[in-house]
Amino acid sequence: MSNPHTVELPSYKEQSPEVARHFAEIRERPVKLEIKNLCKTFQNANGSVNVLNDVSLKVHRREFVSVIGPSGCGKSTLIRILAGLEDATSGSFLLDGDQPHGPGADRGMVFQSYTLFPWLTVKKNVMFGLEVAERSQQAAEAEAREWIDLVGLTKFADAYPRQLSGGMKQRVAIARALANQPSILFMDEPFGALDAQTRAQMQSHLLQIWRNVDITVLFVTHDLEEAIYLSDRILVLKAHPGEVLEFVEVPVSRPRSPQQFLQPEFLATKQRLEELIHPRRDIEEEALPITRMTNVGDEAE
Amino acid sequence: MNKPVSTGSARRPWLAIRKDLTPHRQLFLTVCSFLLPLAIWCLFSYTPFIWHPDMKLEISADRENVTVVYTAGDHVSKEFFPTIVSEVQAENVQILANREAGIEPSGSSSRIRRANQKILRHIATFAVEKGWLPRNDRENDQAIYEIWKAVATDKIPDAKRRLTNENLAIIERNWDLLSTRSDVFNSRLLPETPLEKLVPQGKAANPVYLPDPHEVLLQGWSLFTADLADDETSMSDRYFHSLRIVFFGFFLSCLIGIPIGILCGAYDFFSKLFEPFIDFFRYMPAPAFSTLLVAVFLAHDAPKIALVFVGTFFQMVLVVSNTTRLLDESLLEAAQTLGAKNLSLLRRVIIPGILPNLYNDMRILLGWSWTWLVIAELIGVKSGLTEFIETQGRWRNFDAVFPIIILIGITGFLTDQFLSTCRSYLFPWTPESAEKKRGPIGRFFAWVINRDVYVSPK
Repeated sequence: MSNPHTVELPSYKEQSPEVARHFAEIRERPVKLEIKNLCKTFQNANGSVNVLNDVSLKVHRREFVSVIGPSGCGKSTLIRILAGLEDATSGSFLLDGDQPHGPGADRGMVFQSYTLFPWLTVKKNVMFGLEVAERSQQAAEAEAREWIDLVGLTKFADAYPRQLSGGMKQRVAIARALANQPSILFMDEPFGALDAQTRAQMQSHLLQIWRNVDITVLFVTHDLEEAIYLSDRILVLKAHPGEVLEFVEVPVSRPRSPQQFLQPEFLATKQRLEELIHPRRDIEEEALPITRMTNVGDEAE
Repeated sequence: MNKPVSTGSARRPWLAIRKDLTPHRQLFLTVCSFLLPLAIWCLFSYTPFIWHPDMKLEISADRENVTVVYTAGDHVSKEFFPTIVSEVQAENVQILANREAGIEPSGSSSRIRRANQKILRHIATFAVEKGWLPRNDRENDQAIYEIWKAVATDKIPDAKRRLTNENLAIIERNWDLLSTRSDVFNSRLLPETPLEKLVPQGKAANPVYLPDPHEVLLQGWSLFTADLADDETSMSDRYFHSLRIVFFGFFLSCLIGIPIGILCGAYDFFSKLFEPFIDFFRYMPAPAFSTLLVAVFLAHDAPKIALVFVGTFFQMVLVVSNTTRLLDESLLEAAQTLGAKNLSLLRRVIIPGILPNLYNDMRILLGWSWTWLVIAELIGVKSGLTEFIETQGRWRNFDAVFPIIILIGITGFLTDQFLSTCRSYLFPWTPESAEKKRGPIGRFFAWVINRDVYVSPK
């Protein structure tokens, strides 16, 4: 069936020479995170649920990797295992070649629910990790100020979290995680609770920060456009059990900008992700058994 | 025509589900919530036809051959009162009849004079109450004699209104007898024929356990201002003694209970080690241990403090551990990803995180310890406010009991209000404190506790 409004998209695997060079460059960098055959099984009343099954991947230094998948695919579980907040049932992962035990300052984490300490001011929140590491008060404060400046919250340094908007809170959370200078930053749907406008703003903020800071990011989201806009590669998981469907290399060139949302490469990638996450049969619209309750001739569509 | 829409509180309904009233209305209702019970109390006390099942005797008299003696101030039931009156009236009739008939009274003349002296004194309490006689002259026979004279010769304008005609007539007849003997009091010159007795007079009153508000107020005032003999404990000493027991017991229980509670909430190890037993122990009522505590800690204050401790400690551990567990787990996770472990997690996240809720818990538990105080003060050597309540209650002096009960209530209430006001300054980051407006004192206090003020700028 031909539709006059659809356009022919290129394959998402086609990469411009510039993008191909970028990926070649990434592959040459040292491996930051290596996940080997990671499995996670939860025990519940109905028996055991296999949440993650044999997940393996490699993330290189300063790479931006997104994890997407339908709900229940274990993307949050994956990131929580990596952060040390949960234990894997089997398999292992290496960070800079070492196996970390439990949560630690080497792996920063930004949660969807902000998780700022409400009793500390913005500055004190950012200083938290530095104070735990027993840095001197002056050094910690100076460093915290730099990070607060970096996320553009200089004016709010002495405000309490409750006085901030959602977007500002998340910026503080990012600054707090980065102030610790972790070798990798995990972000678990960090912009999920924000409204569309703030979310777009935060995405470009995050890109700017990532460009200027030596940091590897593993970013969990359910928003396909967000994943394409931000990442170098996208890990697509399937649900029940959570397994790797594909590790997509994003063919959109860097530096990224919101204008690229309409580029053929962008749309092609998005189409591919949609196919992977929502297979055709799910999209078939089922007619709802609704009785017509409006007047004849009062058409909405 | 469209009516102009009026804004403001005038059109807003008083009753609206889950809608806040204006601050003025809130204040008004708060005042009412205190005035309403007070108004009901006043209504019952000062409106004779609402309840008043008793007669409070203002003038009383001994009855011959009856052992139960009522004195002025006693309560008798309304049904019984006419019986006393008619008995005394009958005696008076007999006295007059004997006097008419010229029958010589039995007994020696000195005995009759003493009996007459007693009859004269029956007016004393009434006269003091009406302000005719100074309180100190209650037993001064000269002064009492003057009262009889004054009433009989119409020197007291009030008397006609206050006394029944029957009693006025009796006083006049008696004074006729008295004045022929002597114009001033002289125990030797009292009549040697029996005088008529004053007929009991009373007013409708509530039972003795419901004193009038003004009686309670006056009694309360005199309790705290009265001069005392050296061996008596002044009311303020009693008050501070009670306060000391409450706060000392509560403080001890905080000192041990809070750390254990926090450990139980933070570590499953401590929770499983302590909580099951504590959960079991708290069902054993603290007063059940009172004799044991006296045996262990001997008399005086130690067992009392121990009782307040036993009463609050076990609840405290459970409440605190529960509060600790309520702390948002994601804050702990976030702190862990920032490098915090065991002790720094406890010190930097758990304790500051639960502090506002812990503060509220302590407010509630402090209220509990006041409850235990009353029982604590009765064990071993009775002491403090409760001893006073107990003894006065036994003598049925309920007008002295009420001020003390109210005092305990006010102390608890004011302490709690004070702590609740402090809360917003201690925890400026909580949402509740953000909504509160601060006065000049509050702003000053906030400035004092703001540590940044003392840190010199770089």
